[in-house]
Amino acid sequence: MRKIETASAVLIHRRAYRDSSLLLDFYTKEHGRVRLVGRGIRKSKTSIQMFQRLNISFSGKGELKTLTQWEIDDSPREIKGGTLILCIYINELISVLVHDNDPHPELFDIYIDFINVIASLNNNQQLWLLRLFESNMLSELGYGLDYRIDLNGNEIDENKNYEYRQHLGFDEKVDGKISGKLLGSLVSSDLESLPDEGMLKVCRNLNRERLNLLLGNKKIRSRELFFVS
Amino acid sequence: MIESLNKAFCILPGVGSKTANRFVYHLLERDRDGGMKLAKALIDAMENVKHCQSCRALSEKELCNICSNTVRDSSQLCIVETPTDIHAIEQSGAYKGKYFVLSGYLSPIDGIGASELGLNELEEKLKDSTINEIILATNATVEGEVTAHYISNMARQFNIQITRIAHGIPIGGELEYADINTIAHALSGRKKYD
Repeated sequence: MRKIETASAVLIHRRAYRDSSLLLDFYTKEHGRVRLVGRGIRKSKTSIQMFQRLNISFSGKGELKTLTQWEIDDSPREIKGGTLILCIYINELISVLVHDNDPHPELFDIYIDFINVIASLNNNQQLWLLRLFESNMLSELGYGLDYRIDLNGNEIDENKNYEYRQHLGFDEKVDGKISGKLLGSLVSSDLESLPDEGMLKVCRNLNRERLNLLLGNKKIRSRELFFVS
Repeated sequence: MIESLNKAFCILPGVGSKTANRFVYHLLERDRDGGMKLAKALIDAMENVKHCQSCRALSEKELCNICSNTVRDSSQLCIVETPTDIHAIEQSGAYKGKYFVLSGYLSPIDGIGASELGLNELEEKLKDSTINEIILATNATVEGEVTAHYISNMARQFNIQITRIAHGIPIGGELEYADINTIAHALSGRKKYD
């Protein structure tokens, strides 16, 4: 029986399992996504929460392992309302796109950074952070794009416009929707380089096109919750 | 026959084949009358209990006892995840309004969105001008919170007061034993003391 003593983890999904147990999907730093049974955990006085770094131990062989111990390794965060929907969305992205037992330690850190700051930002900053998360996630999973060079090998010019060509990269076009400035902001990948509202939408569509390619027929259902948030 | 009865009992939560066997032998050896009563009650209930047309709780009639009670305040609507939540709130005796049962919560990863949860039915209900306040009594879980957020956005267009049940230290509980999330919530949701 394989036993894992304390792994750094976040809970990304939970559902009821039998009488008093829960099926828990964790995203761990060292082991990637793992699905564990928390036996009797619904009756426990302290409830296991999302958006909080946890230390978990688990054991078992086969696909479904058992959570043996857990503790909170973080301070509480107040994530609610529209912010909560954004966090649910990134949980769903991880749940769908990251495979079991496929660790991406850097993505784990990016996730923690995201939940650390998201609640303190204004609306546009939140959306920009979300776009950066998607972009960084795609790179971590091996589907990154070089935002510095166009598909002809020329350096991206801040004053020019580009179109995105699937599998190839960015193509310079006078009436292209993607500004070189947006690509520059994606290279900086920080909150200071927040693009204007129009470019935020362009970036959303660009990321969505790239994500949809990976998702195939799968749908990200959290997107349906956005329109009211 | 004995085996199929055993299997039938196994559908109950927490009942495995060993417990089911005890039930089977108890009914067959010691309490045939009780067994007949149980069978009759089961058939009656399975055939006649349906969902209340107004609140979707279980009911023998078109409208459940709470919805058809004219003394209850129809200006308040308490939204809960399951019919057992109604039972819990009713036992407290602290609420005199009406209810709406969601039969679940929004869970995008499981493919449960607004349409699967039948939230359009709730939207229709909110158009009814007698409702002044909705009380979001979904669970204090992330899913419960997401569901509450979605419904509050939906209700905003109807000019209804939207409230959420308080979360905090349980009555008779000690701070020392409360978890940090509960304490944080209790502090941010503190009330003026008078």
